[in-house]
Amino acid sequence: MSTPATDKLRTAAPAASASHPKGRLSRTRVRAAWLFLLPMLVVLLLVAGWPLLRTIWFSFTDASFSTLHEAHFIGLENYLNYDEGEWYGVLADPQWWGAVRNTLFFTLVSVSLELVLGMVFALVLNAQFPGRALVRAAVLIPWAIPTIVSAKMWSWMLHDQFGILNHLLISLGILDTPLAWTANSSLSLWAVVMVDVWKTTPFMALLILAALQMLPSDCYEAARVDGIHPVRVFFRVTLPLITPALLVAVTFRVLDALRVFDVIYVLTSNSADTMSMSVFARQQLVEFQEVGYGSAASTLLFLFIALLTLAWLYLGRKRLQGDL
Amino acid sequence: MMLTLKQTRQLRTFLLGLLAWAVGLVMFFPIFWMILTSFKTELAAFASPPELFFTPTLENYVEIQQRSGYFSFAWNSVVVSFGSTIIGMLIAVPAAYSMAFYESKRTKSTLLWMLSTKMLPPVGVLMPIYLLCKNTGLLDTRTALVIIYTLINLPIMVWMVYSFFKEIPKDILEAARLDGATPLQEISRVLLPISKGGLASTMLLSLILSWNEAFWSLNLTASKAAPLTALIASYSSPEGLFWAKLSAVSTLACAPILIIGWLSQKQLVRGLSFGAVK
Repeated sequence: MSTPATDKLRTAAPAASASHPKGRLSRTRVRAAWLFLLPMLVVLLLVAGWPLLRTIWFSFTDASFSTLHEAHFIGLENYLNYDEGEWYGVLADPQWWGAVRNTLFFTLVSVSLELVLGMVFALVLNAQFPGRALVRAAVLIPWAIPTIVSAKMWSWMLHDQFGILNHLLISLGILDTPLAWTANSSLSLWAVVMVDVWKTTPFMALLILAALQMLPSDCYEAARVDGIHPVRVFFRVTLPLITPALLVAVTFRVLDALRVFDVIYVLTSNSADTMSMSVFARQQLVEFQEVGYGSAASTLLFLFIALLTLAWLYLGRKRLQGDL
Repeated sequence: MMLTLKQTRQLRTFLLGLLAWAVGLVMFFPIFWMILTSFKTELAAFASPPELFFTPTLENYVEIQQRSGYFSFAWNSVVVSFGSTIIGMLIAVPAAYSMAFYESKRTKSTLLWMLSTKMLPPVGVLMPIYLLCKNTGLLDTRTALVIIYTLINLPIMVWMVYSFFKEIPKDILEAARLDGATPLQEISRVLLPISKGGLASTMLLSLILSWNEAFWSLNLTASKAAPLTALIASYSSPEGLFWAKLSAVSTLACAPILIIGWLSQKQLVRGLSFGAVK
């Protein structure tokens, strides 16, 4: 690409541009560039392509862990199968549909909460106040530490008898009796959501903060001179300007939340009340060693996420082209 | 009483500051509680009501080494995080260089496709990868984890380094080229020094992601190569008889992140927001 500055450089060094025909030089460079790119492309094909194809293949077989080599092709039986008046397969498994419901509920609720809270955090952290750097770092910590640690620590804090949360809520008069947060079937999914919100809101806040920092200050000057109420300024100026960043952040989070595993696995293990699609598939694969059945569930989860991603890529291509 | 304009603004700043500190304290409380619990005896940890003031003890820290061999797990975590980060950078920097400076029509789709592999549910490739490790004798080895973490983090690393390289004016490279620099020299003499900060954030992010990873370490390691996340997950007694010790292990697992974060706040914020916050 030739800018005025590079043109000046070229004329400053005429010998170089004259003795090397530009075409050949840039061709070897382009070849070098592809060479640099190659390791990554190979690596990604290996990691994303081959194992995935293998999983899809397993999902069409009756493989179990001990009989992998004698696995037979059974078509779609792992997905859906009608035998002697009954439906079998993942798509007829009430536990799978429970996992789908849990995953969707978890994704919808936690991402919405994270979006709203993240916005509040970002607005607050964007203001000037003493100790801002310290508070920003403190807010960030939940996002930086291992999920497995935060899930364990929360299950300790949520403990029905000895947990600090029940104790605090009772001494504040909000609760009368301690709640079994992770064992009670109507509460446990909310407990999972709460832990995820605690952990991931900082990420949301950071991305929104980044967008806030890039806003032009003259809009705000103008609004202040005109004496417009801050709330109105937020909805009329700030929100429209940061919407693209919000969309990117929400997409990231949704795709991440759909494959949630470790928070749920640590907090409630394989409980059906909170089981996500990933937890379901892993239980089939690792604990029950039903390779075929578990692979079918994995394939369904993959298809679901892939379709969503494709839809997003299709819709967001124009918008992203400016940013990337 | 009417407040002057200046007073209103001061009041607003004060209230916002108060709110910010409240948010910070609420977010930090679980970490604080974990650190506090780690210095209690198991008995004191179960005191009801929970105690805020107590005689601190180091016995948990001594015992997690004696009983579960903390250091070997920690060492696995260190080796695996640094190993995958270094290899990842060696692949990501050249890739980002060619994407940022030899842009073609396909560059953007390659980037998007690459990032989309990040969205794959890991459980979708669990069994093939497990079998591959088993057949090649890599099960329960650090090598397996290094390879897998490198692969998992690569898309994000390439993307971040790419976005840092994009900020560098092309003229600088042109100048180096006219002085006869080869592509490798361009990278090592020009690009790396200019984008030090960005590369540090990328490495920090990769280190943290590898340090925190749990799905693969749980499923691919048993005892020899298990990192800290696997050790923490193994404290799974539902009755929770070892909360103080679990807190001690957890505190130690978070400590490097807290310390590094303290020392390099700017790089950490940049890394953890995937380069969005400058």
